[in-house]
Amino acid sequence: MKPIIALENVSFSYKINENNSVSVLKDISFSIFPGEYVAIIGHNGSGKSTLSKHLNGLLTPGSGDVWVHGYNTKDDSKKLDIRRGVGMVFQHPDNQIVATIVEEDVAFGLENIGVPRAEMKQRIDEALEVVKMSEFRKRPPHHLSGGQKQRVAIAGVLAMRPDCIVFDESTSMLDTFGRNEVLQVMRQMNEMGMTIITVTHRMSEAAEADRIIVVEDGKIVMDGNPREIFKHKEMLMQLQLDIPAVSQMAEMVHNKIPTFSKELIHEDELINEVNRVSKARS
Amino acid sequence: MASEFELSRNITIGQYVPTDSFIHRLDPRIKLLVFTILVLAIALNTSYLGNALGLLLAIYLFWASKIPISYGLSGIKPAIPFIIILAVLQLIFQGNVFSGGTVFFEYGFILITSESIRLVIVSAVRFVEIILLSSVLTLSTSTTDLTHAIQSLLSPLKKIKFPVHEISLIITIAIRFVPTFAIEMEKMMKAQASRGADFGSGEWWRIIQRTKDMLPIIIPLFNIALSRAEDLILAMESRCYTPGNDRSSYSVYQSIGRDYIVLVIGLLISALLLFYHFPF
Amino acid sequence: MPIIEIENLSHTYMKGTPMEHKALKGTSMVVNEGECIAIIGHTGSGKSTLIQHFNGLIRPDSGKAIIDGVDLSKKRIDIKALRRKVGLVFQNPEDQIFEKLIGDDIAYGPFKLGLPLKEVRERVKWAMDMVGLDFEEMKDRQTFALSGGQKRKVALAGILALKPKILVLDEPTAGLDPRSRNELLDKIKSLNKLENLTVIFVSHNMEEVAYLADRIYVMANGTDVLTGTPEDIFTDKENLQRYEIGTPETVQALYRLKDLGYHVNTSAFTISEATGEIIKVLANGEGGNRG
Repeated sequence: MKPIIALENVSFSYKINENNSVSVLKDISFSIFPGEYVAIIGHNGSGKSTLSKHLNGLLTPGSGDVWVHGYNTKDDSKKLDIRRGVGMVFQHPDNQIVATIVEEDVAFGLENIGVPRAEMKQRIDEALEVVKMSEFRKRPPHHLSGGQKQRVAIAGVLAMRPDCIVFDESTSMLDTFGRNEVLQVMRQMNEMGMTIITVTHRMSEAAEADRIIVVEDGKIVMDGNPREIFKHKEMLMQLQLDIPAVSQMAEMVHNKIPTFSKELIHEDELINEVNRVSKARS
Repeated sequence: MASEFELSRNITIGQYVPTDSFIHRLDPRIKLLVFTILVLAIALNTSYLGNALGLLLAIYLFWASKIPISYGLSGIKPAIPFIIILAVLQLIFQGNVFSGGTVFFEYGFILITSESIRLVIVSAVRFVEIILLSSVLTLSTSTTDLTHAIQSLLSPLKKIKFPVHEISLIITIAIRFVPTFAIEMEKMMKAQASRGADFGSGEWWRIIQRTKDMLPIIIPLFNIALSRAEDLILAMESRCYTPGNDRSSYSVYQSIGRDYIVLVIGLLISALLLFYHFPF
Repeated sequence: MPIIEIENLSHTYMKGTPMEHKALKGTSMVVNEGECIAIIGHTGSGKSTLIQHFNGLIRPDSGKAIIDGVDLSKKRIDIKALRRKVGLVFQNPEDQIFEKLIGDDIAYGPFKLGLPLKEVRERVKWAMDMVGLDFEEMKDRQTFALSGGQKRKVALAGILALKPKILVLDEPTAGLDPRSRNELLDKIKSLNKLENLTVIFVSHNMEEVAYLADRIYVMANGTDVLTGTPEDIFTDKENLQRYEIGTPETVQALYRLKDLGYHVNTSAFTISEATGEIIKVLANGEGGNRG
């Protein structure tokens, strides 16, 4: 299968002044394949946010290449094709809404790529339907809750019909309910075939993904499925990260009752494991 | 008790009050055109009567748009010190420029005549009229409508390669962020007050002291403004916004009879203000 | 002894404008000296408006607010003295740092109090110590180059340097990575337990509410709707749902086990307690609906 996004030896540094620069990404290579659900985790300042901005050409590497659908992100003439293919939802709900009416904000991207009006309407309907915001289409966005605003932002991206959406810490400013709303939409879109990349430092959120990439000091230090990754508790702690509460509980139960599996990452698994062990014991 | 920090309370620009009056439903292009011409006409009229007419018109428009006039007036409150200072300066220094009329007072270079008093009163009233008019416009027009209006009014300039779309987008975003910044500034003032900064305790005429008190919020406010702007640019870019590219448009506008009637009335009033010689 | 008494407090924003908005509608609250109180509730429930009353940033529209003996509804009060007593840390306080050097930024408050240089220095040192920043090493560092977690510590130290009796925090750990979050929570806990500081905090993160709070106030729609210990609140499933309050992940799992018929105590919300419940169930050989 051909990757949607491929990074080859990507390095990037911010210039502070003439003589000094800070190296943020150091020789990163990986590929994202169609339909994947990938979480990128790392502590504040690990470079994960800079990395995510390379995925649709908002930043271009200092050395190395990023390929999106086979186009190099350094090729300015392909910029629009790249961004139509890979959409992005950002952290602050307020800073990414351009228009003053929900449906017009969803239309913003479509206007930019010159979609005819008749088709626009249909695409907006569909996108708002997916994020369950249709009833708010005529409302001004600043009266919505954080979770609702983020769903509007998602609709704005979705209407452009990308194959992949990057969520750059999009749930970090939301409360539990808002976060669950957004996570539900993410999961649902992934089931519909959309490639999802989420940047987060909530471990229970990362556990939702099929694959976790751990970034530390501008390098990839781990890349694997959540079960693999969360086995390395010591290492994650060293990287100022954590493992999900469920995994911590499973491990502690396992220490007392060895038949209880310690490699659990989802709540469902914990419940099933309790059922299984309890049946076996009685 | 109103809080001394409630800045957003007094900001009327960039807020949209949907009351669905006929002013709200006007074609935004015509609305913008009429308002622009009216503001220009008022700015050039120096008679008492003409400005009284302008003030009445502004008040009528508030009434017609079903937005409380008190709300429009609260937009003027922060400007009052400036209006007063300006008036005093004009009174002292402008007598010689606008000589003529009866001389009321003369001392050294200070000359106060009926004409210079007229100038002072008219410019203060004019200022109020213009703020009220622009408040009605922004309070009754959503930002999106306003952008489209600016864009279509400027579109003839496209022929001379004027970046019409970019300019109108800049204006929209500026307007959209005014209330946001008022809120940010409020937050910042509260945060600094919580650390022992003095706000609201200095009297308004102690301008230097008050400016000094503002210092600790200016830097963080600037930082926040920059980071917000940066976020917005990234969000727009990743949704394929490219300056200079042709865009399609989701909203379409169609002028109807009512709009043309308003246009004609607006033009007539403007012509009256501009060309009629008011008796006083 | 109550240090904060709020009674039937109301507040309306943008009064007299078309955007008028009632944020508080008769809310009440009592906080005792030395307590650690969490205020939770949905976005827009009035939490932020309430806490801004604590140091007089907002004065009561109607109702009573007595903070450490100061009645806020009286017109003439020493507002500066009140703000010294009640340290309010806003959400994302790192955005409000304005001095170039860490030491200078923390010293801003003490200087404003007009304290002598020697005492300012001592207070800065003490405050940095409290949040776990080394005075000698960090005081001359540039503020802009700090990480998110460190910036937040600096901002917290800036408030602590005022030596408040009451510390009020709005979403203290939002946006921090797990380690910075845990460090900050430990600092707040030790300030509360060891320095006997009264702590009131607003949070969406139920894990940290469970970890820190002695008592919880739940707000909804501008009033206080529930109060109790974390055990009380997190076992009240019906109200949790009604007011759209999340539960810690641990409690969520225990609820599901309980629904399956296991005899677990759902008030166990720390990870080790919750684990204890599971072990207890398994060790007893007890089962749920095993069908």
